[in-house]
Amino acid sequence: MNIIVIGLNHKTAPVQIREKLAFQSEDNIRQALRQLIQLEGINETVIFSTCNRVEVYVYSNKENEDSIINKVKIFLSDFHRIEIKDFENYLYIYKNKETVEHLFKVTASLDSMIIGEPQITGQVKDSYEIALSERTTSLILNHLMNRALFTAKRVRNETRIGENPVSVSYAAVGLIKKVFDELSKKSVLLVGAGEMAELALKHLIGTGINNIYVTNRTYERAKELAKDFNGVALPFDNLKELLTKVDIVICSTGAPNYVITLQMIKEIMPLRKYKPLFFIDISVPRNIDPSINDFDNVYLYNIDDLQDVVDNNLLERKKEADKALKIVEEETEKFMQWLNSLQSVPVIISIRNKAEEVRQQELEKFKARFKELSPEVLNSVDYLTQSIINKIMHSPTVALKNNCDNKEILIFAARRLFGIDIEEE
Amino acid sequence: MGTVFFELSLTLYFAGFLLSVADIIRKKHDLDRAVFLLSLVGFGLHSVYLLFRYIKSGQAPVFSMHEANSFFAWSILLISLCINFYYKARVLNFGIILSFAFMFVSAFFPRGIPYIKPELKSLWIDIHALMAVFGIALFSIAFVFSLLYLIQERAVKAKKFGGLEKILPSLEILDKINYRLIFWGFPIYTFALVVGLIKYFILLGFDIDPKQLWSVLTWCVYLLIFYLRVKGDWRKKRAAYLTIFGFLLLIFGFFGINLLTESFHKPL
Repeated sequence: MNIIVIGLNHKTAPVQIREKLAFQSEDNIRQALRQLIQLEGINETVIFSTCNRVEVYVYSNKENEDSIINKVKIFLSDFHRIEIKDFENYLYIYKNKETVEHLFKVTASLDSMIIGEPQITGQVKDSYEIALSERTTSLILNHLMNRALFTAKRVRNETRIGENPVSVSYAAVGLIKKVFDELSKKSVLLVGAGEMAELALKHLIGTGINNIYVTNRTYERAKELAKDFNGVALPFDNLKELLTKVDIVICSTGAPNYVITLQMIKEIMPLRKYKPLFFIDISVPRNIDPSINDFDNVYLYNIDDLQDVVDNNLLERKKEADKALKIVEEETEKFMQWLNSLQSVPVIISIRNKAEEVRQQELEKFKARFKELSPEVLNSVDYLTQSIINKIMHSPTVALKNNCDNKEILIFAARRLFGIDIEEE
Repeated sequence: MGTVFFELSLTLYFAGFLLSVADIIRKKHDLDRAVFLLSLVGFGLHSVYLLFRYIKSGQAPVFSMHEANSFFAWSILLISLCINFYYKARVLNFGIILSFAFMFVSAFFPRGIPYIKPELKSLWIDIHALMAVFGIALFSIAFVFSLLYLIQERAVKAKKFGGLEKILPSLEILDKINYRLIFWGFPIYTFALVVGLIKYFILLGFDIDPKQLWSVLTWCVYLLIFYLRVKGDWRKKRAAYLTIFGFLLLIFGFFGINLLTESFHKPL
């Protein structure tokens, strides 16, 4: 029995290679799955393709793993029309326990570029569902994929791996939430423009803010942006007056000097009755005088501060990742136990032991009931029961010992039929 | 026999206290529900206990050290539960910890019904005592919220979120709750004070008791806080500092002054 993964990711392969081996669409993957499952020796398969990784999981109940690996390589080469030697060196190949551990790590987002990012789990789930609908999975990979998703869920629930934002714009929103409560009742002013500023604004809108003002040195640009965000465009000269009205200011202009100064803050804060004011300064060079952060009820974060918050959060995530790895180890162990339970010899032994146990129990009862019987008779009964068991057990034993195509399913069924426990959640 | 309710609620508070501490140390919120249920049931049993005592003795259960601490714990929990309910702010943890602390203290004092001079036994004295303790409980929680506000404000300013800040609600909500507590606490405390003073003058004339002087002084500070807060255009950080100052005066009046002087208010 072999569970193998052949793949490459952002750590092992540059983007030029990754994009060549990536499966571009769902149809693409379906087509590939159908071709793979036709190959001799491949019993089950799942393909997983994102912008950061391409992985092919296969299960084979044949012993010759190297030939399976070769077949998959040839398949990838044919399917993507690329020479094997051009991508071979970027591949990682894991077998059995390592495969299980790898998949669990990937699904729990421990192998991601940004540790703990949540999309990956959904992507694994989608890939599995595609394979499921193409019927290229069965007992082994079904169980494996379900355990992977379960492990990811455990990691998410039992560690704080995904808790703190690790992008600058999300970090900004997180900080704003430390100051303000009902964001839907707050207003935000965008001064200037810029990709990151607009992204932060988008995230803010996502939290329910809908009072949006935009100002820019060029009024036309302000009008364009206001239209994009469903806000109000206002002339740049009104900046000071605007500051008395809004709660959050995102500043990102190309100005070489401070656009918002301490003097301005000193003037406007009494006017706004010291209501808190939160500034985010994304501009380089900075557009807001850093000393305003010392003013009561005024909070200022510039791009470096936000980056620090993000770095700290990443560090936290790495710490949490250690806890997560323990969970992965545990779950890998459980899966391997389950896999081993599908070996034929231990199953045959368990079934025989169980039968023997039942026989002994019944014999005891029989002896207790008919105390007057002679030892000869009892011996005959003993012999008789033993031979009944042997006769009944003969064909299941032979069937389990024989090598057939779906042996593990047979073993699984035998366990069910004879009530031999498999650890299941 | 009512004392079994006391023991039961003390036990539940203790369980709630342990879970809350666990929550705070792990900087998580996943035990909140259990804490809420423990608090709620504990509070119910505690209420039964207080009611029992009231009916049995015919006087408000606030006159001995045991009673005062226990009623204070009850008030704090009631207020925390209300905050939990109205603001959906996850701060019950802090409430139950405080509540348990006072409940624990009260368990060490004799539980007999304290003797009150017959001429002091009246509904107005009961109202005075109950409202005074309840008002002080409101101020105490305002004090806790001021501390939490300062912790959170410092973190936001310093741009470091390592500890408690992670599980604290926003500055806005901390301040809003603080304001509400003062808003309710001040009239209640004022009423208790006025009733107490009138009753005292009627009964004993103008022989001023040190606790009364202190209370009036404390009241002046809270009047200032109340005025500034209702007026509105005030820097929230200063409000927090003043609330903390007011509370220190208050708590000295509640506990400290009895140690230094032979007050007529000394609990029995």
